[in-house]
Amino acid sequence: MPLRIRAQAALVIVLAFALAACSRPASTGGATTPGVRVTEVDLGRSLNADKTIGDKTDSFRAADTIYAAVVTEGSSSNAALKARWTYQDGQLVDESVRTIAPAGKATTEFHISKPDGLPTGKYKIEVSVDGASAGTKNFEIK
Amino acid sequence: MGIFDRKDDTPKAKPDFSNVQSGSSSTAPAPTEPTGTTGTTSTSSSATYVVVNGDSLSKIAKREYGDANKWHRIYEANQDIIKDPDLIYPGQTLKIPGA
Repeated sequence: MPLRIRAQAALVIVLAFALAACSRPASTGGATTPGVRVTEVDLGRSLNADKTIGDKTDSFRAADTIYAAVVTEGSSSNAALKARWTYQDGQLVDESVRTIAPAGKATTEFHISKPDGLPTGKYKIEVSVDGASAGTKNFEIK
Repeated sequence: MGIFDRKDDTPKAKPDFSNVQSGSSSTAPAPTEPTGTTGTTSTSSSATYVVVNGDSLSKIAKREYGDANKWHRIYEANQDIIKDPDLIYPGQTLKIPGA
């Protein structure tokens, strides 16, 4: 009997650990970024003075400069905002990092262009904050 | 007839994005440099760059300055973390001195 009680106690402990593990948010190992969060990613061909997009679109021509405006909220003394641009099956087009120290709402723009024209096809921009993915946007060059 | 038909199995060449021009700007200020550091006093944006697979200092210099021969500027600004200019690692955050 004592053996059975011990087994039951062990089962309870295992279940408690399992429940605790389930209640944690999924993590990829990176620390969460308490200060800055991305609230919006917009694409377009031109920028306003406040870095927002003048003409939002997800369809571009080869000769266009593609602007991505990333709106963030929150504050941080040093947040790394990264824009990773990829083509079709994931081929890397460009990757840029901008470190910012926002105190409230801010807009950061990233842009790419290619002197001889961007190849037609589907593209994606993925934005991350301090290594944690914060949003993606698809677009197409026609 | 059909047996002489050949599929075009030639893999399509991947497009070359090596001359893509990129940039960024923000309404948020750049982080302030810690006090007590020596070196450049440039007031331009204190850019940093996170190394990715396939990078080299000259490749980063080409991207940042448009001149691969300026790699030594990045090396000199990052001698605290780069011991050998031929060895940089994905994930390293490099300081990019103003052009």
